[in-house]
Amino acid sequence: MDIRLLDYQSTSAAGVNIDALRASIDAQKSGLRKNDLDGSDINTWIGKVAGLQGLDLGEWHSRNNALAHLGYQQGDLRDNIERLKTQYGRARLGVVMGSSTSSIDRTEQAYRHLENGELSAEFRQPQVHNPHAPSLYVAHMTGITGPAMTINTACSSSAKVFATGARWLEAGLVDAVLVGGVDTLCLSVLHGFDSLQLVSEHQCKPLDEHRDGINLGEASGYAILVRADEGHQDTGIRLQGYGESSDAHHMSHPHPEGLGAKLAMQQAMAMAGLQAEQVDYINLHGTSSRANDLIEGQLISELFPKTTQVSSTKAWMGHTLGAAGITEALIAVDALQRNLIPGSLNLEQLDEQLDLAVQSNNLSRELDIVMSNSFGFGGNNCCLVFGRAV
Amino acid sequence: MTEFAFEVLGVGAWGPRFRNWADLQAMLAGKPVEDDGSKGPKPEVIPANERRRAPLPVRLAVETSSQACSHAGLEPKDLACVFVSGLGDTQLTDYMCKVLAGENKALSPTKFHNSVHNAAAGYWTISTDCMSAANSVAGYAESVPLTIMEALVQAQAEQRALLLTFYDAPTSPILRPLLKNEHPFAVSIVISPSKLKKELTQVESLATMQASVVQTSSAWPERNWGAELQACYEQNPVARILPFIDLIMGTEQHLAMPLSAETSLNIQVRN
Repeated sequence: MDIRLLDYQSTSAAGVNIDALRASIDAQKSGLRKNDLDGSDINTWIGKVAGLQGLDLGEWHSRNNALAHLGYQQGDLRDNIERLKTQYGRARLGVVMGSSTSSIDRTEQAYRHLENGELSAEFRQPQVHNPHAPSLYVAHMTGITGPAMTINTACSSSAKVFATGARWLEAGLVDAVLVGGVDTLCLSVLHGFDSLQLVSEHQCKPLDEHRDGINLGEASGYAILVRADEGHQDTGIRLQGYGESSDAHHMSHPHPEGLGAKLAMQQAMAMAGLQAEQVDYINLHGTSSRANDLIEGQLISELFPKTTQVSSTKAWMGHTLGAAGITEALIAVDALQRNLIPGSLNLEQLDEQLDLAVQSNNLSRELDIVMSNSFGFGGNNCCLVFGRAV
Repeated sequence: MTEFAFEVLGVGAWGPRFRNWADLQAMLAGKPVEDDGSKGPKPEVIPANERRRAPLPVRLAVETSSQACSHAGLEPKDLACVFVSGLGDTQLTDYMCKVLAGENKALSPTKFHNSVHNAAAGYWTISTDCMSAANSVAGYAESVPLTIMEALVQAQAEQRALLLTFYDAPTSPILRPLLKNEHPFAVSIVISPSKLKKELTQVESLATMQASVVQTSSAWPERNWGAELQACYEQNPVARILPFIDLIMGTEQHLAMPLSAETSLNIQVRN
């Protein structure tokens, strides 16, 4: 089956849409800032999206839904979804959203405004205080009435949406799928990752000898997936393969040899019918934690030749958790569109234990095949491979 | 329209009074099942030191997953899985939100990593050495049909057996007015594409079924099981697996479940 990306958009601290993201990448300008999230005194840097404060979604309101809303306003997404609804019927479109926080930002806020120990009136939002909130809201916002499902596998969530969306199309359940990811900065993630001693006081430096932890960020992103040969003017980008695996090792620490990650990459390449030397660029999970970058980096050297260029782009917008999968998949896709590999921003001195084709500066190069890695808590891994339509 | 022909190879169950598949069948048939007073399962598959730290939703999910795999005669590590909780772990949500609303916002690192929605899938794959794809989804009121559909699509695409686990624990008091769930409830099912069954297991299939997605809306079937099971069915999104259990038991032959505003998942028993 030939699955194409008809359109895509990304919203993060590095840019409200793909054009703005390209400008940030070209200028090597990070969107990270010192932590100024309300109520949090943690000394760290965050990737915060501007323009969410003014949005009020009424009974649907949460910061997470507002970010999903802002993301959907970008580029031609709405026009394309409206056109597909007319062409196929709104019940023949599906929604698959990935998220880790869902709308826990709103639940946190509700608990700060309890009245006599109970939820106050404005926070009695059953459709918001549950893990399915992102897809419930996106179905409501877009008017799509086909199946809408949320994937919550921590930091691999919105990578797995591509695998699920592709399977739905292959099975003929739907004729187009809006896949997406959305995750918001909130106290749970800042203080949660701080409790695990994973948060850096500095701007993150993925793969660097002196990296000392992650920065958290928020993002939303969408891609419209369709089957080829149905007359669409698509982007010419194909989802060629995906791999999904489990570490079977630990809830919050990666497998020491990266066995689960290796399985996911091997499956994705096998599905795409590719050898390692054919992969031109890999957007790494590259969180900037000591453990992840070492294990992932060593695994890349084991599996790929030095002609495969790699980078981690987390220093542009931080680790956007449940939205990281799609944010970084789309950075890889856009690299393919522009023949421009984003550098590994903030890299000064590569970890001495790593031997990788990586640089901090962007690199212009003809690309045919790109890959994106996402690994989450619970040892949940997903790898995506994209190429050009022939 | 795609038709999915599949076999049900095993079932696991834990909830009010019922501790396994035999108990659940008895209760659905209106037979008395004594309450042993247990507040939650202690699945032996999780190592003891980890089990102490495992939250109730995780223990529910792992217990019934383990039962269903044994029943199907299949090794857990050979199965991909899809886990679904309709409400999430509201006890942990409650813990985190209370701490974060206070002055000292220091969270327990273990509680934080257990708060991810895929905690159950994580504990399951870690405990059983399963390196297969593990999905963890949410679907609120449509949790059950979405999960069945997702598993059928994956089983067909990859020609493999899948474990499906539906689980929810009682809601924490502050959120209970919104998400009214009073009882722990978990059911697991092992399915395989019909044409793969003979290669997979010697165990006899419990039921052969055919499913399809149609572009018509439907309503949840009315049931009157009485007492706790009825409360589960009416309050807990994942307990909407119970009409599917009717199909496995052969008490019903056909089921339409609302999949979205304008689609339904239709399932037919085949003989």
